[in-house]
Amino acid sequence: MRDFTLAPEIEELQAAAERLARTELEPNVRDAEAAGRWPDAVLDVLDGFPLGGLDLPEELGGVGAGAMAKVVTLETLAHADASGLAGADRPGPTVGAVMACPDRELAAQVAASGLDRSAGAAITVVDPEHGAHELPWGPGRPPLRWIWVTEGDTLRLHEVAGTPAPLQVLAFQASAPVTIAYADTVMRGSWALGPRTSLDVRSRARLWGAAVAVGIAQAALEETIEYATDRIVFGKPVAHHQGNAFDLAAAAAGVHGARLVVRDAAAAYDRNEPDAGFWATQAWLEAMDAAFTATNTGIQLLGGHGFIADHLAEKRFREARMLALQVGGRDCADADVATFVLEIEDPLTAGRELS
Amino acid sequence: MIELDRRTREMIEEVRELGRLHIRQMGLDADASAMPPPVDHEFYYICARQDGLVSRMVGADEGAGALDWKPFRNFLVGEEAAYWDRGVALSLPGPGLGGPAMRSTATPEQRQRFLEVFTDHSKPRWGAMAMTEPGAGSDVARIATRARKDGDEWVLNGQKMFCSNSARAEWVVVWATVDPTLGREGHRAFVVERGMPGFEILKIEHKMGSRGYETASFTLDDVRVPAENLLGGEEFYQSRAGFKASMATFNMTRPLHTAHGVGMGRAAHDFALDFVKAEYPKHSRRRQLAMERLARIRRGLHTARLMYLNAVWLAKNGKSNALEASYAKMYSPPVILESVKAALEILGEAGVRNDKMLEKLYRDVKILDIGEGTQQVQRVVIARQLFDFPRDK
Repeated sequence: MRDFTLAPEIEELQAAAERLARTELEPNVRDAEAAGRWPDAVLDVLDGFPLGGLDLPEELGGVGAGAMAKVVTLETLAHADASGLAGADRPGPTVGAVMACPDRELAAQVAASGLDRSAGAAITVVDPEHGAHELPWGPGRPPLRWIWVTEGDTLRLHEVAGTPAPLQVLAFQASAPVTIAYADTVMRGSWALGPRTSLDVRSRARLWGAAVAVGIAQAALEETIEYATDRIVFGKPVAHHQGNAFDLAAAAAGVHGARLVVRDAAAAYDRNEPDAGFWATQAWLEAMDAAFTATNTGIQLLGGHGFIADHLAEKRFREARMLALQVGGRDCADADVATFVLEIEDPLTAGRELS
Repeated sequence: MIELDRRTREMIEEVRELGRLHIRQMGLDADASAMPPPVDHEFYYICARQDGLVSRMVGADEGAGALDWKPFRNFLVGEEAAYWDRGVALSLPGPGLGGPAMRSTATPEQRQRFLEVFTDHSKPRWGAMAMTEPGAGSDVARIATRARKDGDEWVLNGQKMFCSNSARAEWVVVWATVDPTLGREGHRAFVVERGMPGFEILKIEHKMGSRGYETASFTLDDVRVPAENLLGGEEFYQSRAGFKASMATFNMTRPLHTAHGVGMGRAAHDFALDFVKAEYPKHSRRRQLAMERLARIRRGLHTARLMYLNAVWLAKNGKSNALEASYAKMYSPPVILESVKAALEILGEAGVRNDKMLEKLYRDVKILDIGEGTQQVQRVVIARQLFDFPRDK
């Protein structure tokens, strides 16, 4: 039967990530956002994990610890601060593209440059009907060098030739967001992938965002509960008014459900299940809903305090929204799961016959 | 995605076959006649036979002394049976909703004694559980059925309602209070056996849906229960254990409702999916929209399933699952109602004709948001656990 226990080595990883989050990330959240990067000491520790190589296969220079190890670590770090994760984690969301790239030598080169902190990478989705002239945004530290593009079932790799321009975006400022025109890049390869492989590339990136979203949502929930049980309004704590209590309960259930589906999708990747990509995109959709609900409820219950920078509610609200725009956004994710829903069998009832 | 051992998978396969051959039609017949299937229905005998479903759901296949209410088997069989008809799923022979109390509260001797009846294969037998009263539903602290000790016996007086399968049960786990002023701390669970004088069925309810099982009310009029039928024995109820016992029961029955709901949601999904495949032109905008709705249904059902599996896994491993059980029970009913609603909309008016399962499912499914505590009650329960949401004095 399904086992919800984390393996001991993943629990150890989680505990280490918690220590780092508590001692290095939490005290520096706003400073890191203003500086546009996490402190070097933090990046050194993360490279020692190694965060980026956790779910990268050993043949590509990673440790091959698997997707579950990665999502648990990401969730733990994002609980403290997600802002610098996009830059600190390499290949991060692009790991699916690296793994799917048919040119193994090139893939290994890209992976190595991420792990040695010399090059950053981004992944984006281009609508085949409309095309695109520039990367919407990517992490700028370390310097952005690689851009993976999925367009339909085609995967492309662009190498940055010009100088990316700094960008003001909604969130993730500690990853030093940048943009660049595709005209200022050199295409290093273009490969026609099958529909399922193409879905896997996008879904693996979504799994990254989903894990980060769960961490953000959990943190928002905890901050909200702390504030709402302390602050008195109309004679009792904010959280003790039933309307507010109901909203918090619903948000908590959503975060719990999202965590379960994200970890389930990670387990599916680790078992090489053919439908892992479908379930990872479903997990992303669930996590985006949960993160929006938790962070939005957070701001509502903090009231004016949720809108000012003295609290982290407003930052998490921005981050949750930014994640939901990732990898083509919700429309692309909805279209992806809709495309495959007719052929994905229920794991309990494979081979069923309807009367 | 879901890893099952061989024996559990075989059980699910068996339920699927029984569903195709019996369960769905039994549900339709019960719905049309507004009467649950009779106790001598062939299907119930199939379930009760040697090595049948019932024996395995109480672990009779695992050797001597292994009798217990087996959570994963009961949940997964429940989900699959509910796929075919949730009412009939709840009418499966065996300990039924009395099973969780046997697992959480009974002594090993009591478990052996009360579950052994299900290893007699001569005929189907049922167990049941009674908590709700005319004046106490989700707020179980208010139950008024009294238990008074008299020598070596307990004397029970009161009335219970909305009790599944109690009219056909060999025994009913009845929750009563030794002192209403003690609130939940005064709760005790007694096994009232068929034929005990003073136990009288009042009526079988007429319901909007889920008609495949009987929902009965009964009275207890000076019912004398031997001391050995006090579930768990006297020592179990020290401190707040009485309350803990009833909550441990709910912490199993709540996710069981979710399991049933996932089965019903899957049924709605599959009706809609087959309809889309057959009727909606390929590459049409309408088909694309329907597929997006189906994908959303799949997501909700998948999440709900993981939530109930997680809740039962925690309990099975001796961990607290109160919060997770309520999460599952709160999250799932809207998702499952939406599944049926969306399926109806995909089929359009064809979906509400009375020869279609979907209109019945729409009537059947609403009980999931009521039984074992509405989603509103679950929010109260969750809030109490998360941030000490106050109880009214």
